[in-house]
Amino acid sequence: MAIVKVEKVGKRYPLGEQVVDALRDVSLTIDPGAFLAIAGPSGSGKSTLLNIIGCIDSPSTGHVFIEGQDVSGKTPDQLADVRARTLGFIFQNFNLLPVLSARENVEYPLLQLPELSRAERRERVAHYLDMVGLARFAEHRPNQLSGGQRQRVAIARALATHSRLVLADEPTANLDRETGRSILELMQSINSKAGTTFVFSTHDSHVMAMADRLVHMEDGCILRQEERSAQSAEEAAP
Amino acid sequence: MSLLLALRNLRRQFRRSLTALLSIGFGVTALLVATGFNAAMFEEFREATIRSQFGHLQVTRPGFQERGRSDPWAYLLPADVTLDPALLPSGSTISPRLLLNGLVSFGERTLPFMSEGIDPARDMLDDRSLRIELGRRLGPADHRHVVLGEGLARQLEVEPGESVVLLVNTPTGQLGAAEAEVAGVFSSFSQEFDDAALLLPLSLARELAQVEGAHAWLVFLQDTSATASALGPVRNALPADEFDVQPWYTLAEFYARASALFQQQLDLVKGIVVFIILLGIGNTMMMSVLERTGEIGTVMALGNTRASVLRGFLLEGALLGLLGAVLGVLAALGVGQLLALAAIEMPPPPTFARSYDAALLITPPMVLEVLLIAIVTTTLASFYPAWRASRMEIVEAIRHAR
Repeated sequence: MAIVKVEKVGKRYPLGEQVVDALRDVSLTIDPGAFLAIAGPSGSGKSTLLNIIGCIDSPSTGHVFIEGQDVSGKTPDQLADVRARTLGFIFQNFNLLPVLSARENVEYPLLQLPELSRAERRERVAHYLDMVGLARFAEHRPNQLSGGQRQRVAIARALATHSRLVLADEPTANLDRETGRSILELMQSINSKAGTTFVFSTHDSHVMAMADRLVHMEDGCILRQEERSAQSAEEAAP
Repeated sequence: MSLLLALRNLRRQFRRSLTALLSIGFGVTALLVATGFNAAMFEEFREATIRSQFGHLQVTRPGFQERGRSDPWAYLLPADVTLDPALLPSGSTISPRLLLNGLVSFGERTLPFMSEGIDPARDMLDDRSLRIELGRRLGPADHRHVVLGEGLARQLEVEPGESVVLLVNTPTGQLGAAEAEVAGVFSSFSQEFDDAALLLPLSLARELAQVEGAHAWLVFLQDTSATASALGPVRNALPADEFDVQPWYTLAEFYARASALFQQQLDLVKGIVVFIILLGIGNTMMMSVLERTGEIGTVMALGNTRASVLRGFLLEGALLGLLGAVLGVLAALGVGQLLALAAIEMPPPPTFARSYDAALLITPPMVLEVLLIAIVTTTLASFYPAWRASRMEIVEAIRHAR
């Protein structure tokens, strides 16, 4: 079963006096374990598509299925639960809570899962901080961390809830090339080891090159798709 | 963790939170000082009323409270007090009083008076009941002595050491007359009382009116709060068809009215404080919400429900209220200490005859009340900002994240 199925999704919203079609009749199926990049210039609709897949925006027309469930008709609380249990987010600006330490930032989304005991939360936080290589920085606040380190905390946060799908909107846009690449490599290794599905948007060709599936968008439509083997994706990596 | 988060968010905008805390604290201090000031004033007023006028319990003939003033001789109690002191808490005293109205003359002047014959050994012993302005109070050895209210003494132009003539009607329709030396001039809490009252020893009152007995037996307890529990045994001990027993709080009508009036004023102060907190904290919280738009979008994307976002901001507001109120309570206790040290004499309130020392009486229920008011108000004030936060469009909100 596809982890994401986007069916004839359109999104239009008013912008001033005009009506903008951010997405027109977009259909897309993403299989579990995919490492998929959505590429396109700004305004192409890639962020809107990502937001709609991420259940933080709703389509004007069409349907979105996450793990087979139609999320189009769900209430805000039901969508919050889908986000809490199935989805993870990584943002361009990292979006860590500034008043919380790295450890607490990773723990934060786990508080939405009442079935987890305190000990289980601690254990998970330690595990994922270690995975992203920040065990030593657990007590640091975001402003004491570099951009790359912050994004690693965000990745740990996205994974801590055992999300099956991680959505990343321009995850490397605010990082230098070297750091961006290491972030992408981290995501890639998690993808191949744990099978977590990653969907990210980018307009950086180096980033696109690392994806095993590439979706090109323009003017709210999917222009073309490239399917690549994991091997060729790795070869393409600079 | 949500508590931790709320605390840290408050600490993050330290200066703004401090301003909010100070304004809440100031409001709470104002409220507590006003309440405590009133309570202290009314405690003094209450004690003075009890000690000078009503006693904690008053035993009379049935009907005396309603009709006794017009026909006093129909309601005389036995000459000897038949109430067993063993029924009362230790340290209590029972003191008979006899009411007497008549005329008092000094030189060319003659004025009507109301008087009470008291037992100088047990009644009107200290400043709480009767403050002596000139001369001295009545002593156990006095017989042909009186003390006059300040207003009465002024109108008669009489001074301690001089003699006045008292003239009263006896129950048999004859005139009783006696000469008595003015021992002192007093002021009570009631100006009206001081303008027409004199006090004389019970023995002289009985002699003038040619009666035995008394109109009322006043029971004085050591502790006013024991009044209600002392009432039952006294009522049980005295047959209801012969004796009427009333506690001070059903008799002290003026006290009750004045106390209710001041309570209303306090309610107004409360209203103002609540309003100020509502406006100030509402504004502070709104700023916090707008500033943290990006974070709100983020936590909602991470799966926080609208309700949990709402709760987060309400908790922050409640916490502000609690901390501010604690500050305010401490400040009010400090003001109380200062007042006690400074001994500031307050001018007499309307219809009160004398001044008193400013003091604060702050009790645990008052503290609890202001804490509750502050917390409930700040939480209410946070409600609209919190609601706005919980209704944000996630995508829109995330764009604000930096």
